[in-house]
Amino acid sequence: MSTLEAAEPDTHGHDDHGHDHPAFLAHHFDTPEQQFDSGKLGIWLFLVTEVLFFSGMFCAYAIFRMTRPDVFEGCSQFLNTKLGAINTGVLLFSSLTMAWAVRCSQTEEHKKLTALLAATLSCAMVFLGVKSIEYSHKWGMGLLPAGYFTYNPNNPHPEGGTNWLIWLCLPFALLLVGVVIWLVISVVKGNKFQTACAMPLSVVCLSFFLGVGLGTILESGEAQGGHDVAHADADHPAGAVDAAGSVVSQDETVVGGGVVRERLVKDASNTGLQDEFVARRTQMELATGTVVTDRSDVADAVSAVPQEVLTPSRAGVFFGIYYCMTGVHAIHILGGIGVLVWLLVRSIRQDFNRQYFGPVDYVGLYWHLVDLIWIYLFPLLYLIR
Amino acid sequence: MNLQIFESQLPAMSTKLSFFAQPFLGDVNDGFWFPTQASSFAAEADWVYFMILWISVLFFVPMMAFMAYCSWKYAKSKGTKAESQKSHDTPLELAWSILPSFLLVWMFLQGTWSYLDIRTPPDGAYDIGVQAFKWGWTFDYGNGTFHPELHVLKDEPTKLSMRSSDVIHSLFIPAFRVKKDVVPGRYNYMWFQPSIQSETVSESELAAAKAEFAVAGGAWDYEKYQFTPDGYRFYDLFCAEYCGKDHSKMQTVVVVHETQEELDAWIKQYSVRPPGDEPAVYGEKLYNRRGCGSCHSIDGSKRVGPSFQGFYDRQHEFVSGESIIADDNYVRESILIPKAKIVAGYAPVMPSYKGQLSDDDIDSLIAYLKSLSSAASTSESSASGTSDQSAAAVTVESAP
Amino acid sequence: MSSGSIPKGRIVRDPGFPTERENYLTTSKGVFSWLFTLDHKRIGMMYLVGVTVAFLVAGLLALAIRFHLLAPGGWLFNRPIFKSFTDKDPNDIYNQVFTLHGAIMVFLFIIPSIPAALGNFLVPVMLGAKDVAFPRLNLSSFYLWVFGAIFFVSALFASGLDTGWTFYTPYSTTTDSSVILATMGAFILGFSSIFTGLNFIVTINTMRPPGMTWFKMPLFLWATYSTSIIQVLATPVLGITLLLLIAERTMHIGIFDPEFNGDPVTYQHFFWFYSHPAVYIMILPAFGIISELISVHSHKHIFGYRFIAYSSIAIALLGFLVWGHHMFTAGMSSLTTIIFSALTFTVSIPSAIKVFNWLATMYKGSISLTTPMCYALSFIFLFTIGGLTGLFLGTLATDLHLHDTYFIVAHFHYVMVGGTLVAFMGGVFHWWPKMVGKMYNEFGGRISAALVFLGFNLTFLPQFVLGSRGMPRRYATYDPEFAFLHQVSTFGALLLGIGILVALVVLMYSLWNGRKAPANPWGGATLEWMCTSPPPFYNFDRAPVVGDPYDFEFIEWDNENERYVTAEPERKLAPGQKPEPVHAKH
Repeated sequence: MSTLEAAEPDTHGHDDHGHDHPAFLAHHFDTPEQQFDSGKLGIWLFLVTEVLFFSGMFCAYAIFRMTRPDVFEGCSQFLNTKLGAINTGVLLFSSLTMAWAVRCSQTEEHKKLTALLAATLSCAMVFLGVKSIEYSHKWGMGLLPAGYFTYNPNNPHPEGGTNWLIWLCLPFALLLVGVVIWLVISVVKGNKFQTACAMPLSVVCLSFFLGVGLGTILESGEAQGGHDVAHADADHPAGAVDAAGSVVSQDETVVGGGVVRERLVKDASNTGLQDEFVARRTQMELATGTVVTDRSDVADAVSAVPQEVLTPSRAGVFFGIYYCMTGVHAIHILGGIGVLVWLLVRSIRQDFNRQYFGPVDYVGLYWHLVDLIWIYLFPLLYLIR
Repeated sequence: MNLQIFESQLPAMSTKLSFFAQPFLGDVNDGFWFPTQASSFAAEADWVYFMILWISVLFFVPMMAFMAYCSWKYAKSKGTKAESQKSHDTPLELAWSILPSFLLVWMFLQGTWSYLDIRTPPDGAYDIGVQAFKWGWTFDYGNGTFHPELHVLKDEPTKLSMRSSDVIHSLFIPAFRVKKDVVPGRYNYMWFQPSIQSETVSESELAAAKAEFAVAGGAWDYEKYQFTPDGYRFYDLFCAEYCGKDHSKMQTVVVVHETQEELDAWIKQYSVRPPGDEPAVYGEKLYNRRGCGSCHSIDGSKRVGPSFQGFYDRQHEFVSGESIIADDNYVRESILIPKAKIVAGYAPVMPSYKGQLSDDDIDSLIAYLKSLSSAASTSESSASGTSDQSAAAVTVESAP
Repeated sequence: MSSGSIPKGRIVRDPGFPTERENYLTTSKGVFSWLFTLDHKRIGMMYLVGVTVAFLVAGLLALAIRFHLLAPGGWLFNRPIFKSFTDKDPNDIYNQVFTLHGAIMVFLFIIPSIPAALGNFLVPVMLGAKDVAFPRLNLSSFYLWVFGAIFFVSALFASGLDTGWTFYTPYSTTTDSSVILATMGAFILGFSSIFTGLNFIVTINTMRPPGMTWFKMPLFLWATYSTSIIQVLATPVLGITLLLLIAERTMHIGIFDPEFNGDPVTYQHFFWFYSHPAVYIMILPAFGIISELISVHSHKHIFGYRFIAYSSIAIALLGFLVWGHHMFTAGMSSLTTIIFSALTFTVSIPSAIKVFNWLATMYKGSISLTTPMCYALSFIFLFTIGGLTGLFLGTLATDLHLHDTYFIVAHFHYVMVGGTLVAFMGGVFHWWPKMVGKMYNEFGGRISAALVFLGFNLTFLPQFVLGSRGMPRRYATYDPEFAFLHQVSTFGALLLGIGILVALVVLMYSLWNGRKAPANPWGGATLEWMCTSPPPFYNFDRAPVVGDPYDFEFIEWDNENERYVTAEPERKLAPGQKPEPVHAKH
């Protein structure tokens, strides 16, 4: 016997299909449990694809860090650890509010749910605000992927370039204006639901600029130390070696900022430090990518054919990977903001109850993953010592 | 022990068996499946091939026969019940899962042993540098001797150190059964030991071809003559990794010399400008030999780079907006640092020839460029002039 | 037992024909009822139309390739007619044509063909479910496919694509063709594929009907499930690889491009980490189809169900470990090369198991040589050749010679075309009555199967010899010594094209002139044959109870109505006992 249909007539025909279905239960599911389990499995699988998506970049990171550890260590000095740490804290906090929000959706505390979702959104915006400070600062200095890498240690802050910060802030500013106008209109019209939506959203938009402000303060605090030691970690003493070449390699090369160090290097007996000095200098040259090794020995023929393909800006590789990883992560934050806004509106509509809280749960899982990825990115990129 | 006996007999068996497949197509030298076995690996690789082939046939034929038998024997009219509904037989299934695995292990081991031979170049192998570019090859015989043909010595382990100046290529010599990608940004190595020397054609045949070539002009047509301008029969060398427009024309030839003296003589012939050659004449040889023609035409047609016809002594616009009259210095710079000045309308794709051309080579090329410009400007009927010139070039080149 | 009569004392069950209102094709009308449908069957049909169009386009390109290779110096693209509308070099045209042939075939046809088109239609029906778990996601997968296709077409019209479908760097980062448009297309198609796979995994996990344990699933579902695992696990890596490639091309991030210190071999590792498992995305569903076809048309229980099911999963997992065999000549270390070679051999075992099991299924069966069965038989023939020639390529000593020659071309066409395409066509012929409710002309169908079989072998058998004699692939021109075999191959391609055209005509003709299809035209025992042809909108009025999907004991031929029916002996129920509950709970 292979299959047979149940002999008993069943009222569960498709004509009156859904008669025992609550509104939130899709027609093709039998029970809310089945629907929830399907969604849960679905989101976990999606997270698996996300992890694999990022794993490609982590692999690239591992390969290049293994083959050129010097470049990675050197270039990492250009990343501002303080800003990275602030962002890590902000995201961790947002994970807390998100987890709490999931709980509230189960216990049907609608007001609290809305507030927590808004808090999560605000954290996301602060994160982006700080990030835009970091990005615009580096773009201004020419710390870009290999193809556009124009960083000049003599003149780290060229005048007259595009002010990238304005361009990054512009869309958010427009958004803020739009939301505020919406808020005013809905208040004037007396539409309670729209007012309830627009209020938290305008706070959320505003927090982007909170992040920008925060970033500006921290970044300028860094810069006060003077540019020859700038952009190194603030915890780094002023005389520390700024490996990737914030100082020029001329005849009178000063690799570290410290005068003492300079003198020590000149001492011929101090071979250990001299070796280090030579290594750093080579690394610096390679990191800035300006030196083309000249090998015009004709007799040596093909084996001496120029290292041309090997020269331009090795540092660009680090920044290429940096922008790819953090950029894709930022896109995920933006995507998260999108779905969180959708959740916010639904929570204000009080869609969720103890039987139906799947969407909050799924978005929560997604948000934790985005946080988790940042928690890996932060030490891997910022804390290379 | 038994296995060893079996193994020692198999090569003989396989050559016998491959003989059966011969009559379909081949030339006299070639088998049905493979070109001539011209290196020490060839016999080994072919042996592995035929071993797998016969094992596969041994499986394939009975299986298909069984399938045909079933679809004939058990073809029934609709509604007839099957004779059996047997759903599984675990011992049988385990057997046919596990037993063939032993054959697979054996295949793997055979393939890997042969591969390790192919992989590890012996110490002291004769080293030839290879530069692959779109779309041609340059072989470096040391001491500034470069040539687009690969000339090697019979029974001498030869190692190729290969690099690419643009995209990935792959050096493939079917007769030697070897292949290796040439990847930009790194060196790849391969080695082989040729086992059959190339024949030479008769003087008269060579002279006839030379005469014909002198009339036709252009590049030497290996396919047509089936021997090199020096009168050697050859093996094909292909680029096997797709590399763009003229990928299929990125072919050259391999010539195997019998004695070291013969090879040395051949190399010497190309090492420096022969005493009697005018720089312009030698420049043309270099133009042909070093593959300049794959990007720069001499008839004014547009290729990857600007045409050499009427190039010298003319005003050229650059991408940067400047313009300059092409003189000796500009040409020299363009050969050594091609990306310094890019002619408007072209991409910065030319690799540097620094270290690959001697000063005299560059002077010769400049002289050749000059001759092309003056020829173009003085008379419109430059075609006859060029062919005369190339005829002269060939006669000199063929002098041993 | 004489054929054609149903034993007395049996309860005959047959769902009959659907009413116009029930029939999913006619239940609602208008273009928008299709474009915005959430019904998996309609989405499946839209996919079917889409992939068929993609296949025909790419197939025409294939013919163009073959006709260019008619003469050693190139034939087709040297014709004056091409000069009149393009100033491109014939070699350039050839390169673009073979690139588009490969890219369209792989990304737009083979990968979505069986899982997205047939899978969408069949998975929920075979499960007795009303739809896939996420119908909206399903529809968005389809539209992602459409967008991806649009990107590919726009790449064609922008400045063509000449990188080969593998987009190897640094060629792809330096060429001036529309690499970005095409990679964006492939990126989008990747997400379409991921969402389809995700949907199927969830559907099969959570929506199986009561009674259908894992080992009572039809083998097509096992195959789809394994495929979906690969889609979900491998495709994201392709996504990031293509994204990095785009970044490399636009921003020169220096990961893949040696000019900026990148490493082209890293790209190959990244690319094949996806694209080798993708080979199994292409072939595993074909295995599933053949398992169904052989069993149903032999009217015999599939032999070694568990071995076939496990081998699908084994292939899915092992498929992740062998990507390096595409790069034996690229200059990996000896150790890596040898490990990849060893792993490659392990993959061949599960494939062999399946072929043995199919042959054993036919033994002592009651075989109907219908069109789908003809396709299934030619699948076994062609796939076995494809699989066995894979051994030459997994063996290091021979691969060094055969890599990147026509031997490879022939090998993967035997697997992709002889395997996947033939199985796809067999599947379409098998489920066509179910999908459209019409029977096609059997004779025409069999002619098409024969033509495809002959044409295919004529096209690709000579290419093995071309390859072993040293003809490299992707050559627009070739040495005259290869001319004869190339010409035979071109003639075969023409025959293959005619065979496919015949199949298309037979199917199209049935739409207007075909006999109304019964619910069970072949005598299958899986759930899709238990609902009407075509299925009603909700598939099953009452959810079915499930037994062994390959138990043909009570499937009987009803000669009068030319259909198979389920005829079971009456079973006495104890007083007060109710039949098995349909749903576990409401």
